[in-house]
Amino acid sequence: MIAIEGLTKVYGSEVAVDDVSMIVEAGDLTVVVGASGAGKSTLMRMVNRLIEPTAGRVLIDGEDAAGLPVHELRRRIGYAIQNHGLFPHRTVAQNIATVPTLLGWDRRRIAARVEDLLRLFQLDPATFARRFPHELSGGQQQRVGVARALAAEPKLLLMDEPFGALDPLVRAKAQDDLKAIQRQLSTTIILVTHDMEEAIRLGDRIAVMDAGKLIQYAPPAEILVHPATPFIGALIGIGDRPFRLLSLETAAQEVEPGEAEGAAVAADTDLREVLAELLWSRRAAAPVAGRDGRVIGRVTLARLIERAGTPT
Amino acid sequence: MAPSVARTAPIVSLGFDKLGVVVAALLAVGAASPFAVFRANRIVAGEARPFFEALPAPFAALLALAVFAAAAVSLSKTPARARLATAVAFAIALAALIGIAADCLTPPGDRYARVAPAAGFWTLAFASSILFADSVVRLRLGPLARLLALALGAAAFALALWSGVWSELSILKEYATRADVFWREAGAHLVLAVGSLAAAMTVGLPLGVLIARKTGLRAPVLATLNAIQTIPSIALFGILIAPLGWISVHVPGAAALGVHGIGAAPAFLALFLYSLLPMTANTVIGIEQAPRDVVDAAHGMGMTGRQRLFSIELPLALPVILTGVRIVLVQNIGMATVAALIGGGGFGVFVFAGLGQTAPDLILLGALPTVLLAFAAAIVLDATVELVTGARP
Repeated sequence: MIAIEGLTKVYGSEVAVDDVSMIVEAGDLTVVVGASGAGKSTLMRMVNRLIEPTAGRVLIDGEDAAGLPVHELRRRIGYAIQNHGLFPHRTVAQNIATVPTLLGWDRRRIAARVEDLLRLFQLDPATFARRFPHELSGGQQQRVGVARALAAEPKLLLMDEPFGALDPLVRAKAQDDLKAIQRQLSTTIILVTHDMEEAIRLGDRIAVMDAGKLIQYAPPAEILVHPATPFIGALIGIGDRPFRLLSLETAAQEVEPGEAEGAAVAADTDLREVLAELLWSRRAAAPVAGRDGRVIGRVTLARLIERAGTPT
Repeated sequence: MAPSVARTAPIVSLGFDKLGVVVAALLAVGAASPFAVFRANRIVAGEARPFFEALPAPFAALLALAVFAAAAVSLSKTPARARLATAVAFAIALAALIGIAADCLTPPGDRYARVAPAAGFWTLAFASSILFADSVVRLRLGPLARLLALALGAAAFALALWSGVWSELSILKEYATRADVFWREAGAHLVLAVGSLAAAMTVGLPLGVLIARKTGLRAPVLATLNAIQTIPSIALFGILIAPLGWISVHVPGAAALGVHGIGAAPAFLALFLYSLLPMTANTVIGIEQAPRDVVDAAHGMGMTGRQRLFSIELPLALPVILTGVRIVLVQNIGMATVAALIGGGGFGVFVFAGLGQTAPDLILLGALPTVLLAFAAAIVLDATVELVTGARP
């Protein structure tokens, strides 16, 4: 559990982060979202003390981050950034091995870990381990960057706009992969982005920042339904609200008994995609197929419409 | 029908190679100018001889043929390999023929007569070096191939010296009378040039790292080093005489170490001071141009300052630092010549002695090795920079 208490950063007369307090539960993916200059990166960089706070403190599992030697603290926390920051003169394997090497792991353990991570990120070790970063595509570089951040099995991972440099298709895949990997490893993640869509897609909780202040900290559904300020409403985009709300649930959650015509949708499809499918194929309902492919019921247009509005 | 014929004609005809025109012109000028100079002794004014007088008829014909062939190859659009082969063959022919000319022009048994290459020879040599350099560029030789070419060239040069084809040339006669002095001064020259470089690296690298970290120090340090760079070398030697003389007298042991107001110490110190700016500035620039994200990642993953410096910043700065080393070494090899003025030794000893005696051959004995050394150093370090950079973008 990460407890941020009254964290403040002042540069001269400018307050970059203004008295932010929040708690990130272990195993949660918390997204800090805001416009550029809102202080979100500064807040994140105070967690691993790349920036020293003017006031306030960060407790990691009850331990004050300020009490540890700064290098030891950072080696315990994964760190991934927008342009991946891979070391251009080192191979993929050497890049991933950075923190384990700093921690003095023995060679065999490092090699095994590097191989596991490459496989986890769908990069064949035989092909990629010896390549240099410039020999990879943007998406592969990004995956290596995250793999490197996870190399020493940190309980906490900080990510600063990790998908910012990727094109939309690759980004969507990278986001899904991150979510899956996070569930598998149950790493606590604090991710900074300016993209509300990304925040809603990834976040267990979303922290919205504006002008250095934390103005709302809540699960995505609550942010969509009850935005705390008109600014947050604008960030969400009023016109997209029903669809964003739908995107938080999957077909499995709204399945009801009954039959329907046409092709089945997979149970883990989000409701926004189900709605699109129903509208496109001009159907009032579609069968829902479970993981094994067997139909487990149906999802109806009427039900979707009901779910897309403000809860009454 | 006539116009269409005229239009198709250029496709068939050989196009001229633009640089080849320059090379051919140089070859023509070189062939028309005096090939060798004959002097009755080493300091009287010489008599210039064109190639057909300097060489026996068969060799003169050979040279004329070689000039024509080289001009033809360089003018037409021939493949780079053929041009390279032509340049090398022409250079070998030229080297052999100047030795033969020296042999033939020197009266048998005359120990005072001197034969030196004249303007025509140098122009022809220049033409072949342009053709050579151009074809090397066109072939895009890799760093290892260039090092190999340099080694082959050096071996051929040594072979020519050893075989005695040039032994009648004036410059080698000058060498023959002072062979041991020559090698002593060669050693002194290298110690001055390479030693001051090593000293500048020892000080300049840490200084560069320091001012890369402490940005406040950067402006004053670089301004000071810049100011030193603007002092003319002779003036700097002069400025250093007084303080070093004082140290020599007043600091115990300094004189025993060879520190005197004049001699190698001020020369070494001056070269060292000149080398500091390129070493320091290139270290700073190299460290600065490391991508910001990369340095941020190094911080964020918990590297200490030292780990970041040695495993990230310096390796990334290496190509730029090596470029600094190249600048310094080439500059020092040239500038070490001036050290002779204050008794510092080196090839400059022959240059200044030659100037004093109005003996051009002696000047060449100092100047030629200096030029060749600087040239070789540039090739070796350029290749090294490329080898170091080659592994990454």
